[in-house]
Amino acid sequence: MSKEEILASIRKRKGATVEVQNTVQIQASGWGGTELRKQFIENLKAAGAEVVCLKKEEVDPYIASTWENVLDFSQPEVMTEYTATCPLEKLNKIEQAVFRGNFGVAENGAIWLEDKDLPHRIAPFIAQHLIFKLDTNEIVATMQDAYRRMDLKDTGFGVFISGPSKTADIEQSLVYGAHGAKELTVCLT
Amino acid sequence: MMSHACKAKQFLANESRVDWHNRTLWLVRQKRDRVAAAVPEWEHLREQAASIKKEALANLDVYLEQLETEATRNGVTVLWAKDAGEFNRIILHIIQKHGVKNIVKSKSMLTEECGLNPFLHDRGIEVVDTDLGERIIQFRKETPSHIVLPAIHLKKEEIGETFHEKLNTEKGASDPTYLTQAARRHLREKFLAADMALTGVNFAVAETGTVVVCTNEGNADMGVHAAPVQVHCMGIEKIVPKQDDLGIFTRLLARNATGQAVTTYTSHYRKPKPGGAMYIVIVDNGRSNYLGHPKYSDSLKCIRCGGCMNTCPVYRRSGGHSYGYVIPGPIGSILAPQKEAQKYRDLPFASSLCGSCSNVCPVKIAIHEQLYFWRQDLTQQKRTSFLKRFSMKVAGFLLSENTRYNLTGILVRWALRYLPHGLLYLPFNAWGRGRELPVPPRQSFKQWYEGRKKTKN
Ligand code: SF4
Repeated sequence: MSKEEILASIRKRKGATVEVQNTVQIQASGWGGTELRKQFIENLKAAGAEVVCLKKEEVDPYIASTWENVLDFSQPEVMTEYTATCPLEKLNKIEQAVFRGNFGVAENGAIWLEDKDLPHRIAPFIAQHLIFKLDTNEIVATMQDAYRRMDLKDTGFGVFISGPSKTADIEQSLVYGAHGAKELTVCLT
Repeated sequence: MMSHACKAKQFLANESRVDWHNRTLWLVRQKRDRVAAAVPEWEHLREQAASIKKEALANLDVYLEQLETEATRNGVTVLWAKDAGEFNRIILHIIQKHGVKNIVKSKSMLTEECGLNPFLHDRGIEVVDTDLGERIIQFRKETPSHIVLPAIHLKKEEIGETFHEKLNTEKGASDPTYLTQAARRHLREKFLAADMALTGVNFAVAETGTVVVCTNEGNADMGVHAAPVQVHCMGIEKIVPKQDDLGIFTRLLARNATGQAVTTYTSHYRKPKPGGAMYIVIVDNGRSNYLGHPKYSDSLKCIRCGGCMNTCPVYRRSGGHSYGYVIPGPIGSILAPQKEAQKYRDLPFASSLCGSCSNVCPVKIAIHEQLYFWRQDLTQQKRTSFLKRFSMKVAGFLLSENTRYNLTGILVRWALRYLPHGLLYLPFNAWGRGRELPVPPRQSFKQWYEGRKKTKN
């Protein structure tokens, strides 16, 4: 009922159809690999993340030697243990959670995760400390490139994460660790 | 209702707070300028965003139906509410249907607009606001004073006091990190116990049936993924047609709002979690009345970044509560009279018409022009005060004819010089309140110019 009323009201009043003009020329799209990497790292740091540059084979040993009870969600055993039906109390005990990022965005340090990476959708938010593995070759320049690279129709849920959770709601003082991860580390290979 | 000027006066009583408020928001504006300047195509992005929104609004019915079709195919229930009352009843119905006890909510100006919290409260149902700023004002039984920074009107000592009372933090403690951690512990319990999560919507993509929510705290995701039932509430104007459009809007939103390159979390909800339920509630509540309106339709392009508030010299010095409408500042001053022209008739006058709002708006709404149009319309509708209309009439009469103009000039210069202070600052001289009238020059520009010509000749 209300649907029809709302649509009728829209049809009665909406203006004449207009064309969308495409005006944006993205300068950053001309960036080469080194510039992308440099911008990505700078922007991640500005967002409060820590970035560690490693060789591919160094990543797992680095993670294992740096954190004790780390859970690596790129491992099949972990994926099967923390499924969508896993109780929240158990998920709430996660200290460090590792995910493989699909790709990163140079202009703001955001990293894309989607359902296929997440056994339980809450995992990257409920963990105290979030760790990403990311390949330098998987960095795009801008959000416009990012949305051209993936397809939202492939996933039920997807998220760009840039930095640890933060708030400035008390007198505009920046505090990390509002509700999500208190820290974010990116292992860039 | 008390006028904007009266409520601004209350805010102005505390001078140091006003200074802090003014300075802090200006810092946000400066941060915004820096990140915007770092994007060479910034102006093009604004053009493009404005153009996408215009097209989306011109085909709004088509896109809303497409959103519904896509979302339904994804297993989402789409519900439509024509006004606030229906919206509140829909939410209540979902609560009852799922036997919901514990509700967490992330930021949604729409639920504020519809008065959802008080509606549910009256029926014995409590909603926990989970955005830190919103939780603070919920504890204090206040309303948000800014759409992005809801507790910007408060000092940390006041928040410390509130938390001491509600969360048992140490008496006198006001360190932001300490207080944030206390809120984190308190709200994490609420998330874990939640059986329904409510969110607002930043963008709804017609093409894919996805709703996008942007937060820095991660509260939307904590709630949505913890609770079996997730409900996303959107105004009809939140539509963007395509996935690619998000590329434009996510580049603009956070930069323009808080000067960040992007929000920490940009979350895309498309299908319910396994075993869960997902709802999208589409709300009109008067919005469609202004579609295609020759003067005011552009206000529907707003993406609620709050940029126009941070830059507004009146907002920064009068505080969000002085507006008395759920959305304050320049954009609120053109949206409020759309809702109730009589009640909010003074808001379009709470502006210097400097145009700064329009200059920062990421979707290029000519806010200051709309403020000016509203002034004309409200005056024509005789909604403004008699004194204001009368004095404008008199001014119009005096200024529109040469002799009258010259005589008035002479009279005013004489009066300002010789009349006693008490007479000049009578209560009906609204200008004289809080302002000193200028020292008049001995002669008018015209007289000076004539004299100058004579001496030259
Ligand atoms: S009117 Fe423009 S600047 Fe103001 S909140 Fe809306 S989008 Fe932002």
